[in-house]
Amino acid sequence: MNRRTFWGFTIPSVIVMLALMVFPLVTTVWLGFQKLLLRDLNNPQWIGFDNYTDVLSDPEFWAAFRFTMIFVAVVTPVTMVMGLGVALLLDRVGRGRSLYMAALLLPFIVTPVVGSLVYKDLFERGGLISWLWEVITDDPFAVDASNVKWLIIIQSIWYIMPFAMITFFAGLQTLPGERVEAAAIDGANFLRNLWHVVLPHLRVLILFVGLITIMDAYRVYDQVFVWTGTRFTDAHTLSVYNVRVATAFDIGRLGKGNAIAVLNVIGIFIVLIPFLWRSYKDQIAERT
Amino acid sequence: MRRSSTLSRIGLHATMLVLVVWSILPFIWTFQTSIKFTRDVAAKKPVLWGYETTANAYRAFWLDEDDINMWSVLVYILVVTVICLILGQIGRRVRHSWPWFTAAVGVIFVALWRFPKVWEVNDEYDFLINSIVVTVLTMLISLSIGLLAGYGLARYTGISGAVILIVALGFRALPRTAFVLPYFFGAKEIDDWLASSGVGSWDFPLIDFPGIDTLQILDTRLAIVLALVAVNQPFTIWMFRSFFMEVPKEIEEAAMMDGATRLQAFRRVIIPMMWPAIIATGLFTMLLAYNEYLFVRVLAPTEWTLPVAIVSLTGGESSRTITEAAAASVSITLPIVVVIILFQKHLVKGLGAGAVKG
Repeated sequence: MNRRTFWGFTIPSVIVMLALMVFPLVTTVWLGFQKLLLRDLNNPQWIGFDNYTDVLSDPEFWAAFRFTMIFVAVVTPVTMVMGLGVALLLDRVGRGRSLYMAALLLPFIVTPVVGSLVYKDLFERGGLISWLWEVITDDPFAVDASNVKWLIIIQSIWYIMPFAMITFFAGLQTLPGERVEAAAIDGANFLRNLWHVVLPHLRVLILFVGLITIMDAYRVYDQVFVWTGTRFTDAHTLSVYNVRVATAFDIGRLGKGNAIAVLNVIGIFIVLIPFLWRSYKDQIAERT
Repeated sequence: MRRSSTLSRIGLHATMLVLVVWSILPFIWTFQTSIKFTRDVAAKKPVLWGYETTANAYRAFWLDEDDINMWSVLVYILVVTVICLILGQIGRRVRHSWPWFTAAVGVIFVALWRFPKVWEVNDEYDFLINSIVVTVLTMLISLSIGLLAGYGLARYTGISGAVILIVALGFRALPRTAFVLPYFFGAKEIDDWLASSGVGSWDFPLIDFPGIDTLQILDTRLAIVLALVAVNQPFTIWMFRSFFMEVPKEIEEAAMMDGATRLQAFRRVIIPMMWPAIIATGLFTMLLAYNEYLFVRVLAPTEWTLPVAIVSLTGGESSRTITEAAAASVSITLPIVVVIILFQKHLVKGLGAGAVKG
């Protein structure tokens, strides 16, 4: 395919991405240097790095940062180990597999805010789990500032795990049967088989799922917003804090919000750059 | 070791059942809540069995007092479906189906766009219609431009292709907040310009939407659709590219040897082979648009879609709103359950395909 045909095919998509991704990103950086209030949008003033010093000295930013890091650090490994475990189980199921799969996929496919709402209802007053808790411990259970972070984490694992599960399951389907059998003949038990045959086969997928999970956990919004709302602002993650600062009714500071967004982008890019660089090398290698 | 004993099989299924319960327990609980009377919901000890069921919550959420409207909605949807089916049937019989397909798309577009202003209907229908419009339009635009770009990127070997792919991959990772704030600001600026220059109140004969007297971006479905198409592009082009890579070059080269242009080869030979890919990518695009919360909340303060409507309507603490919220949650989840049942294979395949080339 020559260059002109290529651009002919690609140009609509490239225009959309330039106009609605590159340009807004530049706008974000520019707005990050402005003093800009939500109720007075026509009056941006250049204030240099003031927004950034403001953000970095804001204890709420650091609280959000800390919780986001804990969130990523817990959700990513638990999701992946659970996903792999369930995928291995699913792989052994003969009859009824697609039925199990449909049920297990539901949390991942359902609207995230609705998933969070229905999950939250179990723990609210009058909910099933809150009632069970009371029966067992005699203490009433209530969602409060001390446990809401862990509830968000548990619910997010519930929500994201099916993605890891299905991806690993798809990977297991491509595992050549001979290799498993050869290992079995050599007398390998389950764990040795897992370590020497299955995991090496899934290496690329594990990296892929890990990256996607980190990315999605880092920018989590929907679940946290539903669980905390305006009640538990301590448990806000970076994205929720960011939107709250920028769009709070009447006191929204769009300039500061954009500065936070820029910091968030820098944060994820630090994790991502080695991976992007590797993909770029792969792409170049593919072409020569 | 290969042959599993009955005991281990029972253990396996028992474990799977526990996992299934962990997955769907919240949905079962919510479904129960939605069909209970408020007195049972308010009871301190949850009523698990033998309660009296009722559809009151659904009635309250969807019907309100004015039943007539629901019938006009159904008739309208029926008429549009029939028109599209007729166009589709003609398209299947006629040699050049392209114009007929375009006409069907056009009918859907106009029908959906004009819909809520034709009859005064419940707010809930407005949210439902907004959800449908946003989902359908996002899918149409996103898939058409993504399909073209994915093909170009799969076949072109120049360096600019690699750059586009890597930049797109980077964008895929960015937090939504980095986009939603400038979208909001930009839309506001455009609206201000439209208002101050007077362009916004011009009369456009062809796009004369009843009930809308000024042209604007913010708080319209257009804003949501554009935002969703944009953030979905990286995913779409990567998905389609990985599917196109599996189609051997020789196929369209053979068609082009026979005198077809590249565009003809693409349309007549390649696209028909791509339906599984289109369905898989379309499903994920559909879910993205249907499930979106943040963009809608910020860019459309009143033109809500269903997720925003549900979150906003569940603010109250009374038992009555709890049952209604449960009914709303069940209603919004049902289409997704149908999608899982009908397209499970495509979903699994799509996730696998995204992973292999990711």
